Amino acid sequence: MAGPDPPPALEVRGLRVAYRAVPVVRGVDLTVAPGEFVVLMGPNGSGKSTLLRAIVGLEPCDSGEVRVFGEAVGRRPPHRRGVVLMGQEPGLFARRSVFANIAYAAGIRGAGESEVRATVLGLAERLGIGPLLDRRPTEISGGERQRVALARALAARPRVLLLDEPFSALDVTIRAELMADFRSVLAAAGVAVLQVTHDRAEGLFLGDRVALLFDGRIESFGPPREVFDRPSSVRAARFLGYNTVRENGVWTAVHPRDLRFVPGEGAGRRGYLVAGGPIGGGARLIVQLDSGERVEIEVGPAEPIPPPGTRGTVGWSHSTELTDPSP
Amino acid sequence: MRPRWLAVAATLPLGIFLAAFVLLPVGEVVASAFPAAGTLSGWANLFADPLNREALGNSIVQGGLSAGASLLVGYPVGVFLGRYDWPGRRLVRSLLLLPFLLPSLLVVLGVADLFGPGGLLLGLLPGLGLLGRGIGGIVAVNVAFNAPMVALFTAVGAESASGPLEESLASLGTPPSRVYRDVWGPPSWRGALAGALLAFLFSALAFAGPLLLAGPAQYTLEDRIWSLDQILLNPGGAAMLATLTLAFLALPTAAYLLLFPRLAPSGSRPAPRLRRQNLSPAAMLLAGITVGFATAEALLVAAVLDRTVEPVGGRAWGASWSLLFGPATTRSLGISIGDATLNTLAFAGAAAAIAVGLALGFVFARSLRPGAPSLLPALTLLPLLISPILLAFALASVWEPILGGPREAWILIVVSQATLGLPFVIQSLSVPLDGLSAAPREAARTLGAGPWTAFTDIDLPRLRGGLTVAGLFAFAFGLGEFTATYFLVTPSFTTLTVAVYRLQGVRLPGVADAAAGLLLVVSALAIAGLALGGGRGRS
Repeated sequence: MAGPDPPPALEVRGLRVAYRAVPVVRGVDLTVAPGEFVVLMGPNGSGKSTLLRAIVGLEPCDSGEVRVFGEAVGRRPPHRRGVVLMGQEPGLFARRSVFANIAYAAGIRGAGESEVRATVLGLAERLGIGPLLDRRPTEISGGERQRVALARALAARPRVLLLDEPFSALDVTIRAELMADFRSVLAAAGVAVLQVTHDRAEGLFLGDRVALLFDGRIESFGPPREVFDRPSSVRAARFLGYNTVRENGVWTAVHPRDLRFVPGEGAGRRGYLVAGGPIGGGARLIVQLDSGERVEIEVGPAEPIPPPGTRGTVGWSHSTELTDPSP
Repeated sequence: MRPRWLAVAATLPLGIFLAAFVLLPVGEVVASAFPAAGTLSGWANLFADPLNREALGNSIVQGGLSAGASLLVGYPVGVFLGRYDWPGRRLVRSLLLLPFLLPSLLVVLGVADLFGPGGLLLGLLPGLGLLGRGIGGIVAVNVAFNAPMVALFTAVGAESASGPLEESLASLGTPPSRVYRDVWGPPSWRGALAGALLAFLFSALAFAGPLLLAGPAQYTLEDRIWSLDQILLNPGGAAMLATLTLAFLALPTAAYLLLFPRLAPSGSRPAPRLRRQNLSPAAMLLAGITVGFATAEALLVAAVLDRTVEPVGGRAWGASWSLLFGPATTRSLGISIGDATLNTLAFAGAAAAIAVGLALGFVFARSLRPGAPSLLPALTLLPLLISPILLAFALASVWEPILGGPREAWILIVVSQATLGLPFVIQSLSVPLDGLSAAPREAARTLGAGPWTAFTDIDLPRLRGGLTVAGLFAFAFGLGEFTATYFLVTPSFTTLTVAVYRLQGVRLPGVADAAAGLLLVVSALAIAGLALGGGRGRS
């Protein structure tokens, strides 16, 4: 006979946080399974960081419940929750060496000297920071600092790891490499992760499941493909990179690659080209429709880019009806 | 324990200390100034006495003149410090703290030596004799103390302006005068004004300057309260004048308390300092004022040193030092100079330990709930409102009977020194704490460190510089404290500052100067020792 389901690594129920009576997080429900990587996406100011700080205990909650592996931890201080937060600013101890930074976390949980050393060296090897152990955080690059911060977080053996936009301050090339390394190291460690980001590409790439947060509320939560393919509101569609246009009084989402711009007269919405230019393997056109909307169109590398001001028609092959008109 | 209750527990000792040694005694003094209803004749008599009216007038005039002069000198120096990069800038900035650390009595003696009869500068510029005595001398002493403070506050204000904003305006073609008006001028003036308000408070309640350089005609409210209580044995009158002093101080103190929090750095990068190639004629003028002021301050210290080694009455300079440690001095003071030195070090050490201990509890609480609204930060500045004589008078009135008379005067001396140094100690720790990034502390907390461990592991090492400054301030303040100590002291607890003052009137050639030299040496050694011991922290 099968036993009861194991509790989620992290369970958040009805969490509410307000700053000076202004609600920032408005009743969030969320679960992260053991070993799962969940990404919470949302625009700036949607309450993502506040939610993480409330989960870890750095912000007081007005109401709601936080459970870690079934234990209610909402009334515990941050250091007794088993939840580690790694922020965009990694918060490394500036005057300690990289080794001492990582060792700090292992030492805090009471590990002996030899265990601390083994932990630090093991994590340093896995994250590729072995040669940096004698340096100080001010002497290494931004990407390396994030690797050190992750090593330090893992040295604490967290039950749940929270990542607050760890890649947002890094340049594009380092970011891709670091995301891949983080993902594999965290998968190997088997730790449950909740990461927040405002970068949709990052969220869709990293998450086993993703959630969309707007105005302190979770709007959709599920596998990345499902969340991406079925936006329910105008704001979710826009955040995910869709164009939103009205069709017969109903808002619909159209992906830029499903749109076509044809110069001259023809069937479809009338408009003019505002700007166009190459982007990597193709080109992007920005078209102002006479009906008021402005749309982005992705075209192949072989297609010519008309000059700005060219009038034409816009049509699309596929669209998704949006049930929630919230802008 | 929840952060709120932990914070309350951490600040409880400070709250109890302030309640027991500031609020309660001062409240008692104020209450005693208002006897039973309908008997306001005491107040009428108070105002009828021309000496009391004169003391009030002197406090206003001396405070105003000193604050104005400190502003005149301190503002350009502060701008030159805060806006320009030049060799030795950091050293000069550190040296500006020196007058705070020097015993007030020594600065008074230094001014008398520089500008007084037979003074170093009098031979060069006879007109400067005005600054060696009377109100001129009093203002010179006050400026020597307070202009560096105005300069430092101005520099902090100028540096708090946003660098990116200034650079944007400059790239838009905004002339420097408009950049001054719109970007860094207002914060520099806020700093200067806060410094000038403190200069007014300290000068209006100066004690040693009027006592030594002018006499009763220039007595401030402080001198008059002391005179009423200790010379004329009229504690009732002293209590009423002390209450009047409190009312008199309320407005400038409130203005200072409103201005001070607005001096915090904006959080954005400050503008890079201008270098030599950017030096305009205006900058050269600022440089000239700064050099002139630094020279005057250096001469002041040199003057005190000079008189301690000067041969007296045809005898070798060592003779006065022999006299200082001889039986004649012990008979005059009622205590040997060695014991007075030990008293000085012990009282200052105990006061510094108390002040720093209480302040640490306060900053720990602040680290738990950064930015949380609280009345306590304002309360910690309360001792600023209480002048040293008022505090000593209040402590003696309430606590001497409880302690069984003046036999235990040392306790009150230590308490008064700790109380008076407390606002500066707390500011020395809490201002740097507020400027620290919370990220490492929060990281440590989520990594498993408890609140106290995170504070001692992460914040305290980062505050080590502030802690050194705080301890140094408190200790140096105790070493040089004269006013409250002189009010409370009994012969067996005589300190060096009190000894220097008492030996002024004793017919032992050069002994008072040797005592001043000893005080300077002890202060310098203690300060240097603390500064060297402070070292660098890690976090």
